[in-house]
Amino acid sequence: MPGTHDIEETTEANDGDEMDPREAARLLAQAEREVRRQFDLSPPWITALGGGVILVAYGALWLSVRGQHPYTGPSLGAIAIVYGALVVSMAVTVKVYRRATAGVKGPAVRQQQVEGVAILVSFILGSPVLQGALRHYGAGDAIVYGVIPAAAPLIIVGTTVVGIAASKSDWPQFAAALAVVIGGAVAAFAGPSGAWLAAGISMFVGVLVYAVVRARLQHV
Amino acid sequence: MDELDQVIHTPARLRIVVTLAALSDGDTLSFTRLQEILDLTPGNLITHLRKLEDARYIESEKSGNGTASCTSVTLTPQGRAALTTYTDTLRNLLGSPPAPTRDQAA
Repeated sequence: MPGTHDIEETTEANDGDEMDPREAARLLAQAEREVRRQFDLSPPWITALGGGVILVAYGALWLSVRGQHPYTGPSLGAIAIVYGALVVSMAVTVKVYRRATAGVKGPAVRQQQVEGVAILVSFILGSPVLQGALRHYGAGDAIVYGVIPAAAPLIIVGTTVVGIAASKSDWPQFAAALAVVIGGAVAAFAGPSGAWLAAGISMFVGVLVYAVVRARLQHV
Repeated sequence: MDELDQVIHTPARLRIVVTLAALSDGDTLSFTRLQEILDLTPGNLITHLRKLEDARYIESEKSGNGTASCTSVTLTPQGRAALTTYTDTLRNLLGSPPAPTRDQAA
């Protein structure tokens, strides 16, 4: 081992007390749990909290458009709640990611960053491009500010995550993303108001189930 | 088969190997983060790492110079295989069925 500034002292390592196999097995299981927690990019309780935030944000959007005749789109207050939730969620995600990957370098970390960019690009570009095109061709507010912004992000981002999860054989993530895509498809046919509710509920359920499955896997 | 690998069979080195095994192939972990996770003194950690390195279970790499230098460590394929063998031996000794390897689990 080369000496460095972060390795300042050398002492004789204590090989520790004799471990019997049962004690070693207990330590092994404990170490595996601890390390999973240390490197976890999406801790179950934060994922579940994110699901709750999504439900509140989409619930606010649905409440603001419910009963609109003619449909004009979500209120500015509801949109502000959504953007506020988005900013908080992104800040928490970045903090958790930095904590989990601190000191880790290599191809897998670079791959995660590329996946993050792909998800962000699909979220930022997908729905607005469709909304702009539909407006260009004369679609009404119910489509441009209702069905599409509610359903399209779920289908576009969800499909992106389905592909990423499949490439990693991350089947819990695959199932959660597929549930979100299906939710988006349902939302697309739920009408301009109902689309927000369908989208919110499907994302909440998908994220919550994913959090529960991950929590169970971490304790296996 | 029923002889536990004595290089790994100490609390500190078992935890080191398990921690490094959680990383994907080719990824490295900084010495400081490893120390933070394991809560070992630098001297204690480096001595355990040397023993693992002597057994070719880990590799270390130093980057930068002077105060900006940083050491990172990674588990070698031999180290990963040794952990799998160790786990299987442990299960054999305790009478449990062998656990799926990381690749099988994935």
